[in-house]
Amino acid sequence: MSQPRASQSRHTKSFWFRWRFHLSGLLLILPMVAMPFYFDDLAMSRGEKGLGERDLGQHQVGPWQIQLAEWDTNPPWRDGVASYMKTFSLSLCETCIPEVKAAYMRIGKPRNLRTAGAISFGTPYRQFISVPITDSATADADIWLTLEGWDGSVHQISMPLADASPSAATFIQRRNH
Amino acid sequence: MPTSTSTKSMTEKPRANRAKIWFLVHSWMAMPIWAFVFFICLTGTIATVSQEIVWLADPASRANPPAQAGNLLSFDEIVAVVNEGHPEAIIQSISRPVKSQFALTARISYPDTTTRTLYINPYTGVIQGESSRFDFRQFVRGLHGWLLMPWTNGYSWGWYLVSITAVPMLISLITGLVVYKRFWRGFLSPRLRFNVNARVFWGDFHRLAGIWSIPFIAIISITSIWFLLQGILQDNQVSFSTAGPPIYVDRADVPQLSSNSQTPPFIRLDEATAAVETAFPDFQASFVSMPGNAYAHYRIGGRSVSYPLLFESVSVNPYNAKIEQTRRISDLSWLEIITGSMRPLHTGDFVGLSLKLVYFFFGILLTLMVFSGMMIWSKRTFRDTAAVLRERKIKQQPNKQMDSQIPAYALKEGESA
Repeated sequence: MSQPRASQSRHTKSFWFRWRFHLSGLLLILPMVAMPFYFDDLAMSRGEKGLGERDLGQHQVGPWQIQLAEWDTNPPWRDGVASYMKTFSLSLCETCIPEVKAAYMRIGKPRNLRTAGAISFGTPYRQFISVPITDSATADADIWLTLEGWDGSVHQISMPLADASPSAATFIQRRNH
Repeated sequence: MPTSTSTKSMTEKPRANRAKIWFLVHSWMAMPIWAFVFFICLTGTIATVSQEIVWLADPASRANPPAQAGNLLSFDEIVAVVNEGHPEAIIQSISRPVKSQFALTARISYPDTTTRTLYINPYTGVIQGESSRFDFRQFVRGLHGWLLMPWTNGYSWGWYLVSITAVPMLISLITGLVVYKRFWRGFLSPRLRFNVNARVFWGDFHRLAGIWSIPFIAIISITSIWFLLQGILQDNQVSFSTAGPPIYVDRADVPQLSSNSQTPPFIRLDEATAAVETAFPDFQASFVSMPGNAYAHYRIGGRSVSYPLLFESVSVNPYNAKIEQTRRISDLSWLEIITGSMRPLHTGDFVGLSLKLVYFFFGILLTLMVFSGMMIWSKRTFRDTAAVLRERKIKQQPNKQMDSQIPAYALKEGESA
């Protein structure tokens, strides 16, 4: 009785012996699983899925109409040793493109144009503002958007940070407790 | 197999033992992960010529000169061409290879928030098409470099998985050379036997390709170890950049316009590039990024003439053409020059097609070395396993030595198996 069992175990052992070194090929499952997300991210970065992951709608800022979005719904990302950042995306209406000089965003009301916060980068159709999550920021704070015109005029709107980015509000809440 | 069983002296024994250990280390470095490493080498090899593959596949990406090829388009002429063909679009950046078989590219932004890349003939200004939504080059790089794994929080896990294989690769190279006694002889008398059996062929191939690839494997594995370190440093917020914080155009330089509805009063692109080329006569502008806002600069870049591995860039004030920041080779620290050279050294993309083809060739060799290593091991292992099993059957005794797995060339000096 023991003889066939022994030869069987030897057989499975040699099968294992033959194939165990090919197992690292299973790592190639990773790119296959990641592929749909990769193409999703790519479409996002090319702007094919809209302005941002979470649309914040149209807003009237003084004479100008803009569209705002939260670029991604992830928690704030770490930017070097400096701080954590939350990125928003913004697009200007066709008629306000030549009129708007710059857009700024910050948490909390700015005292003047010099402290209006982070400046936007990009084209008028799609620009990004990465807002630093300051140490003093609270979860119930407002986020302020400031638009500066080429003629020197300044217009602002604000909204609760929790509306603009629930993930940032949660992040701050967790940090402050 | 003519194995001379010389039992000369006692001194030979420890040397043989050491060789045996080196050989086992060599075998174990790649064998358990060979399939993964094979995939990385293969995709990396394709990635070196991915731009050329796109060139072959997509005629729009080529820069065919017309019969009477005049001067290359200036940056302003490119802007005019895009504005005419796509009046609603806004240019973000232009890349105009100085001397190339590739069409120049313009990255443009549309009102529907999408961005696209246009291929423009650098001689005629014809917009030949746009890069397809499936960017083969980007895809192969992503597959090779980080297995397409996401970059949501710091470096991708795929990046680490790939770059860490450089460590066993470097150890394989070193141990391979230690095990292969007098490997330099292989240069003088190369041997590739097709007519014995597969095991002998792959063995010859593995050694021959190995010695000819010594510099290539060293470059690839050392640069990849840097990629591993780069990820670790960045993820731990360690930076030795001398670039400093981003600079902005002084508010006093940005004009206040009395009435709205005017386009930004930027200087022309050719004016900006001329300012740079006047200040630095050895600077060849090959790409331009438009200011990202009213307080940002034209960023004008080009491959360094003195050190072609790296690109240099200059930031030009878009209102008065003043050069306000330079990032040229002379502005970089030694550490930045060395670490910055790692990527071009890894990809071979700093001379042109000729070097890419050299990298492609050695890439294929390296891919086949991973494969041949596996073939040698499994053929030898199968043979030895069969022998052990046979032995056991007869003697009912366990395998006593690993000697049978060690090839003759690793054990004794001189002519090998």
